[in-house]
Amino acid sequence: MKRKVLILVTIAVLLAAPAAYAGDETRWVNVHVTENSSNTNVEVHLPLNLVLTVLRNVDVENFHGGHVDLELGDDMDINFPEIMAAVKDAPDGKFVTVTSDEADVNVHKQAGNLYVTVNQKEDEMAQVEVTMPMELMDALSFGEENTLDIAALLQSFDKLPDGDIVKVTSTEANVRVWIE
Amino acid sequence: MNSQRGMSTFGAVLLAGTAGLLTATLMMDWMVVDVHVLDVSETDDIHADVPLHIKVPFPLVIADIATGFIPDEVFEDARIPPEARVHKELVLETIRALLDTPDAELVKVRTEDANVDIYKDGDTLRIAVDADDAVVRCNVPIDGILEALEDWDWETVDPQMLFDILHAAENGDLVTVATEDGVRVAIKMW
Repeated sequence: MKRKVLILVTIAVLLAAPAAYAGDETRWVNVHVTENSSNTNVEVHLPLNLVLTVLRNVDVENFHGGHVDLELGDDMDINFPEIMAAVKDAPDGKFVTVTSDEADVNVHKQAGNLYVTVNQKEDEMAQVEVTMPMELMDALSFGEENTLDIAALLQSFDKLPDGDIVKVTSTEANVRVWIE
Repeated sequence: MNSQRGMSTFGAVLLAGTAGLLTATLMMDWMVVDVHVLDVSETDDIHADVPLHIKVPFPLVIADIATGFIPDEVFEDARIPPEARVHKELVLETIRALLDTPDAELVKVRTEDANVDIYKDGDTLRIAVDADDAVVRCNVPIDGILEALEDWDWETVDPQMLFDILHAAENGDLVTVATEDGVRVAIKMW
């Protein structure tokens, strides 16, 4: 009897596995905000396609069709694609370390990810962790007039493994953005 | 002696008419507005005596016909601001993307005063608000809203749009509101 049950369970699992895999094709963007003072908890769980659709159709000041205007001014001539390529090709290691009375900032690359960490030492004592996989570097697309294609950046989330993108903890609020 | 007793012509017409009327009634979309006002001054029992109970069944076909008789001039002054019209594509594309979204809980908010949950369930967006002073449940037919907004001219107020959405709503509760002072309102589709 136990053997029959075991066989049936095995068959059911084998049959369900491809269906479960097919059902997991949707990538989800999750945002979790906890405000400590008011004990407020907000969880947003949206499919990436829905977010992209909204972004591509928003047409407001400084944001058109998924492109955000970086407003750098004419006197700033930054070659973003070259910087991104240099970061991508750079070996693992610490790139930036800033220590001050206000905050410590670290930028380092490790195992195909660029990590930016900020530890604030006053006010809200915020701790910020940004994880940027190198795949996102390829998706960073800058227009000729200092615009950044946010929609293309988000589209590349589709290829990312599940994991945290941004994590902020502070005395006032905690924010976590992750993809799954 | 073997004479058969047949149905009279009048009886047949009456029966056919009644059957037709009944079928038409059953085929129609009905909206039922159900209002209870409970006396909760001394009890929290939701099944306490009901001092007021109003139930108004309303066939939507009547509303469809009635809106057709409203002269266009009535809505001439009620024009949609151009700023809203600019976002037409954003709104339509967002709703289309929402329809394609798999069923899931999309938003969950917990505060000291209220809890809000928004689920997508098939073609319906289910909104649940549990506040200190009221409990609200709302089932929004996403496909009905999309259809109504696609047909809308995005220039003038169109009451027919509301009824198009109601036609698309699933049978059952569309909106229910229960307040702490004993008012229970339910708008049901049937």
